[in-house]
This record gives sequence, structure tokens and C-alpha cells, in this order.
Amino acid sequence: MKHRMKWLALLGAALVLAQGCVAAAVLPAASIAATGVSKATQASRPINDSEEYYVGRAVAARILSKYPLYGNVELTTYVNEVGEAVARKSSRPQTFRGYRFAVLDTQEINAFACPGGTILITRGMVETCASEDQLAAVLAHEVAHVANKDGINSISKARWTEVWTAMGAEAARQYGGVAGNLLTLFEGSIDDVFKTIAVNGYSRTAEEKADQDAVTTLSRAGYDPGALPQVLNKMMAKEKGASSGIFKTHPATGDRLAKLKAEAGEASPAKDEKVRTNRFKAIVG
Amino acid sequence: MRIPICCKKAAGLLAVLGLALVLLGPGPGRGETLEVIQPNQSLYPDPDFAGAPVGVVPQGARVQVVRQAGDWYKVDYQGMQGWLHRQAFPAPKQSGSGLSLPGLLFGAPAKETTSDEVALAGKGFTPEVESGYRQKHPEANFAAVEKVETFKVKPAKLDAFIKEGGLNP
Repeated sequence: MKHRMKWLALLGAALVLAQGCVAAAVLPAASIAATGVSKATQASRPINDSEEYYVGRAVAARILSKYPLYGNVELTTYVNEVGEAVARKSSRPQTFRGYRFAVLDTQEINAFACPGGTILITRGMVETCASEDQLAAVLAHEVAHVANKDGINSISKARWTEVWTAMGAEAARQYGGVAGNLLTLFEGSIDDVFKTIAVNGYSRTAEEKADQDAVTTLSRAGYDPGALPQVLNKMMAKEKGASSGIFKTHPATGDRLAKLKAEAGEASPAKDEKVRTNRFKAIVG
Repeated sequence: MRIPICCKKAAGLLAVLGLALVLLGPGPGRGETLEVIQPNQSLYPDPDFAGAPVGVVPQGARVQVVRQAGDWYKVDYQGMQGWLHRQAFPAPKQSGSGLSLPGLLFGAPAKETTSDEVALAGKGFTPEVESGYRQKHPEANFAAVEKVETFKVKPAKLDAFIKEGGLNP
């Protein structure tokens, strides 16, 4: 009886202790803090893929509060098929949660590359294209902006310094102020990216690099790389002198077109263009 | 030597307490079934968003919890094992009295809050930060973003599309 009591007590104590260890393993606050600070100070890049994804979601949510989604399922599926066919041949075939393409229900001519891989193209832009290859050219250009992280790179350097401070020193000292501070920085980052992709536009260097990359991607995918200067010409003709929308964020200057034509001209011609144009016309009209 | 009755009672109580804690635990335990409430949740090979997902779990699916580590649950879904982030599941229920045995013993509720904040410090922009942003900006259309995230072409359909158009696979 005496031994049974001892064993019972020992068993109980062991189970309580074991459970305590499980609880500690589930919520290792102090060790997470240490790891977090260490990661923040050791990381060599300013943002990881999952953070980029969350910035992209918020930027997309902001754009989608202005433009509704176009409810044409057939067109949406088609745009996703063309988009994925080019994205897989880009310099960044995989993102954190993958590329997604959606059509915005507006006649404005525009396209937005949200960080992380959500690409929004307007119905006006789709209808400006005359063929699948031209649609692929627009999407390849936007994919290049995602691949080159042009949106994320527009977050001001000063803001990153603040993020590091919040994630490093402050986290080590106290937990309380970190959440609020990071939310403020997150909001600021969304503003920076939104202004770049939807208001002010990318730098000329970023645009030219996206053009070059799009030409390479189109060639690799089997599309006609000459479709990019073609669609830019169409856009210029459609809204000559316009200073808003895509004409402000993706200006098609004479220099840009000349460079593109030279780059595209060196690529090998695409096959089966007629088949692709027919399926484009069957869906877009 | 004769063991006093109060010691016998204490030993028994300790054993019952230990068993109760193992059975009830502070969170979802091994073998528990949870429902996925978010659409298209990626199943990761490790408890980290950085890895390439090994599969997708649809909204409404029920998964069996194998184990838990921080904000991540190792689950079994139709024979496929991987890690799901806790955002895939409903928020844990709070008891009506606000008291729980693990909480009383280990201070679980207080640690939970701290864990979230520390996770923010460690990871930067996370679902928790996004949640704060959504509360502050109700005009941001996250419902549409979630709809866009369901637009995924099935690999076989994409392959057929590429082949039909004479494109490079």
C-alpha cells in the first residue's frame, strides 16, 4: 500500500512536470524572443518571402477597394492560364503562395503587379490587346516587376531602418510596443508600394529592366517577343498624351520602344501564333 | 511507518491532476481533429512559410493534429502529413470563467499574448500585423484578395493549354 502510494505520487508529479514541459514547448516566449532578435540582426535581406506576401495582399486589397473584380470566369481563367504560362518561364517562377491573375472591371487601361505575385489587369487593358501574345507580353512585363521586387524596393530605406529597430532592440527590451510599432510601419510600407505601382510609377531603370526580362520570358515561353513593342504602340495610339493610369506608371517613350524593338528583333520567331490568336478572340472578342 | 491519510489523499489528487492535464492539455492535442476554416491552406514540410508547400487543404476539411509547435500544427490530411499555420483554424475558445487549470499552473493566457507579440518581433509582417491593418482599414477589400487567391489553374489544365498553343512546357 505504502509503495503504491509512492508510485502514484511519483506518476502524478511526473505527469504534471511533463505537461509543464509541453506547455513550455508550445509557448516558448523567451526563446522565441531571442531567436527573433537574432534573426532580425543576422538577416541579410530586408524582407522575406512571407512578409512580401502580406505586403502584397494589403496592396491588392487597397486596389480592389477602388476597382471591382470582373465576374467573367472564362476570361479570368484564360488570363490565369496565359499568366502562369509566362510566370513559369520568368526569372522567378515561384513565389511564396504563387502567382495569381485577376481582371478588374474597368475600362481604364492599366495593370498592377502586387508584391508576392498577385497581378491585376483591367478589362480595358485586356481589350487593348489584339492577340494572346500581346496579353502575354503585358503579363510578362508585370511578372518581371514582381520577380525584380520593384514594388517592395520602393519601400523607403528609412522605414526599413525603423523596422529593424522595432524587431531588434525594442523586442529585446520590451514586447509591449512592438505590435503597434510594426503595424504603423506596415501601413507606411503599403503606402510606399501603392504610390509606386498605382500613382507615381516605377523608375525608368526598373521599367527598362522589366521590358528586357519580359522579352526573355516571352521567348522562353514560346510567345512572340515582338508582341511587347506592338502592344505598347497600341497603348500609345489609344490614349495619346494621357498622363494618368498606365501611361503615368509605365510610360511608353520613344526610347523605350526603340530599345524594345531591337531586343525583340533578335529573338527567334514564335510558332502557332494563329492558334493562340483564335482562342484569344473566342474569349475576349 | 504509517502514511498519514492526508498524504494519501494528496498523492491521489496529484495523480488525478496529472492525468487530467495530459488528457485536457493547454491546446489541441495529438489525435484531435480540427476543421480548416480558411480557403486553400498550404501544407508545409516544416513549421515555416519559407518551404515549398507539399499540398493544399481546402476550406471545411477536417485534419488530425499530430503535434503542435508554437503557431504551427503538424497535421494529417487524407494520409498526407505537413504543417499548417494556426490561422487555418478557428481561434481557441476561452472558458466561461476565464480560469483554466493549465492557466492557473503555468500562466497560459498571459504567455499566449506575449507569444503573439514576440512572434511579431521575430517575423516582422505577419498575419497578426495584417489583422491589425484590417481592423484599422475596413475599406481595404481583403475578401476580394481571398477570392483572387482561389484562382489557380490545375497543372493538367495548364499543360493542355500550353500544348494546344504550341508553347514551351
